[in-house]
Amino acid sequence: MTAEAIGQTLIYGITIGSLYGLAAVGLSLIFGVMSYLNVAHGTLLMLGAYASYWLFSLYGVDPFLSIPVVMMTVFLVGLILYVLVFSTLAKLETDSRIKNSLLISFGLMLVLDNLAILFWTADERTVTTFYSGAVLEFLGLRLPYVRLSGLALAVMGILALHLLLTKTYFGKSVRAASIDWEAATLMGIKVNKTYLFSFAISSALAALCGTLFCLSYAVTPTIGEAWSIKALIVVVLAGMGRIGGVFFAGLLLGVVESVSVFFVGASYQEVVGLVIFVLVLMFKPQGLFTMKV
Amino acid sequence: MLEIHAIDVFYGDLQALWGVSLNVQQGEIVSLVGPNGAGKSTLMKTVSGLLRPATGSIIFDGIRLDRVPAYEIVEMGICMVPEGGRLFSSMSVVENLELGAFNIEARKERFEALERVYEIFPVIKARKNQMAGTLSGGEQQMLAIGRALMSQPKLLLLDEISLGLAPLLVQSIFRVIKMINDSKQISLLLVEQNVRMALELGGRGYIIETGRIVGHDEAQRLLESEKVKKAYLGLGEVQGEN
Amino acid sequence: MEHKTKNAIILGCIFALLLFLPLFIKTDYVINFLVLVFLYVVVTQSWNILGGYAGQVNIGQSAFFGMGALVARMVWVSGMPVYIALVAGGLSAVVLAAIIIMPALRLRGAYFAIGTLALAVIIRITIGNIYPDLSFLPGEYLAAYALTPRYYVSLGLMVITTVAIYLIVNSRLGLGMVAIREEEDAAGASGINTFKYKVIALTVSSFFAGLAGGVYAYYQASYYPYTPFGLLWAFEPILITFIGGTGTILGPTIGAVGYVVLKELFAITLGEMSVIVFGILFILVVLFLPGGLIEASSRVFRLLARLNKGSQSL
Repeated sequence: MTAEAIGQTLIYGITIGSLYGLAAVGLSLIFGVMSYLNVAHGTLLMLGAYASYWLFSLYGVDPFLSIPVVMMTVFLVGLILYVLVFSTLAKLETDSRIKNSLLISFGLMLVLDNLAILFWTADERTVTTFYSGAVLEFLGLRLPYVRLSGLALAVMGILALHLLLTKTYFGKSVRAASIDWEAATLMGIKVNKTYLFSFAISSALAALCGTLFCLSYAVTPTIGEAWSIKALIVVVLAGMGRIGGVFFAGLLLGVVESVSVFFVGASYQEVVGLVIFVLVLMFKPQGLFTMKV
Repeated sequence: MLEIHAIDVFYGDLQALWGVSLNVQQGEIVSLVGPNGAGKSTLMKTVSGLLRPATGSIIFDGIRLDRVPAYEIVEMGICMVPEGGRLFSSMSVVENLELGAFNIEARKERFEALERVYEIFPVIKARKNQMAGTLSGGEQQMLAIGRALMSQPKLLLLDEISLGLAPLLVQSIFRVIKMINDSKQISLLLVEQNVRMALELGGRGYIIETGRIVGHDEAQRLLESEKVKKAYLGLGEVQGEN
Repeated sequence: MEHKTKNAIILGCIFALLLFLPLFIKTDYVINFLVLVFLYVVVTQSWNILGGYAGQVNIGQSAFFGMGALVARMVWVSGMPVYIALVAGGLSAVVLAAIIIMPALRLRGAYFAIGTLALAVIIRITIGNIYPDLSFLPGEYLAAYALTPRYYVSLGLMVITTVAIYLIVNSRLGLGMVAIREEEDAAGASGINTFKYKVIALTVSSFFAGLAGGVYAYYQASYYPYTPFGLLWAFEPILITFIGGTGTILGPTIGAVGYVVLKELFAITLGEMSVIVFGILFILVVLFLPGGLIEASSRVFRLLARLNKGSQSL
């Protein structure tokens, strides 16, 4: 077990972990703001991945360049989905919202995932650009440029969200609505509109994660479900609170998984996640990074 | 400017208000007093749009308020300071104030409004970057009032602002709101368990008991009335069963 | 005629019908279909004990079903008699529940739901990683495969499960569980050990789901070991109970039958699109029927009962 091997493992863990964090941030946003649990969140990620893939393979658009378009498109999809499917849940109180949104988003996942299989088949799609194999050699470590850029963009995406939430009026209204939506209404905040745009933003972030995903991994319709769960685990690990916590929880999961592959092999890496999840549930159900409640 | 005509308000199947009528003229102070659970907060929630009356109407400057969603009511110039303040505790003092000026018109004037609030409540200015939840009870109440002022209201609804505060603090806050009414010409509708302090502000008063208005007069006269003195001020001679 | 006696007679007739069915219906299709229906009834009933009666909505029933299937298959294929394999499956599901799900019981309401969902999916992915290959029946087993015994085993399981749940629900245990559902804090304050009842409900729920999984493994000639761990087996009992009504025994049963029939109809008529249309229906049902169809149908029953009484008094 050389230092390089450990370093390599850590790097891979961090790069995939940053994507976990990015995927989880959107989920955490809508759960924190409106107490909706969107099991179809990963499906939106999958849509983003496919969008970038098709733009690349049909029109030669570089995935990095496709990001604005893909995010915009899925943002609109998010708006539509919210209006059609999730808006009526706003009348319910918290516990009902969570249960109903879980069920509804499951139905949504069924529909969208299977539409994807119908239209795009279950074949694996990979994006191979001229720079796909390029690697940065640093201290004996091989750092693929694609994954490094993915890390950078994930961090940027999360920072952008943070800035949105702290520096803009809209962002502040989102935070206010998540703390006390009745009081927010009394300030003149249109809570429904706030929910609508929060959902759309969350979708756009998922799509960004999807694009970054397609650069390094094969895309199939099944990644939706898998990443929904990954995001969910990260959200639970992080607990409710600042976005930074979610990001670090993602990194943690990524690193732990990566390291465990090293020790117990790929088949059991999920088990490690499971064990951590159960431990957190047992001893710190409010999450690892929450502000003290 | 505000007219409430015979409203009935229900919580599900439970009736909370029976045929309540009330009005507030421009520039007035009106107090609604009564015991716990009489329906005071219910009335405030109905005026601010969180509840809808089953019958009757609420009219503000000629517009039917009971058909308007809560967030629009703020834009029309009514702002409520809810019971307990309901601040956004994990956001800073400044952010809370800024959120008070959320509606577009108020937003344009928020910098001036902020300065005015700081003038009225210097304590708040000193703590402007602290998390709202870390302020003391009195400071939170002041922040809640300041936040409501940010919306450039014509009518302020104050729901039990004396609750949980020491008497001296209550006095100083009441002095402030009287000043707000005097100089800024903002009308006040307050709901209070502390009958004396509320009525001493002047203006008019309504007495509410178990969901019905049972008395209405000028505040001064209410203060002097035997009934009020006995029931709420613990004064006057006991004359047996009334 | 007394209400209860009338019910008993109806149930008896249905049971007799099902019991003797294979004698006069020889089409495999119908038998296969009924086996599936019975399995769905058992899984839904088992979910209902924890989710409907005790009020702990869990989205991980698939973990118990899948575990039962996994262990039962292994035990059976290794030479043991089927019944032992089935019981082993049921017990393994209980063990799984004890290790994995019990810590989650500390969570309330929706957080319990989320926790169980995540656990169920992780388990599925892990099983898929460890046992990715198709599970075949060894030669002799395949040669000896007959539908009829499988029909009776699944029918028997359905009857046993329904009876067991009926007994539990009408006992003090059942009362305790409903108390928890209605007001968890009050129940604790009135001296009911809420945790104990949750554990009992979980044990019963997982045991029967595990047995059902075992029957599934007995019934399916070849399948992927991770399939019974799939999320559909976690969400479908919830949807069925949603429609059929949570606090009853009849509701989920009728719901399960109706659901499987509907699903089959869709599959026949719509083919590829069936899952998609199904998903849309799923969404619509949750959106528009938050109280479940049972509320609507119970009003219809009451109306019919009034009409019935009216006509009798004439």
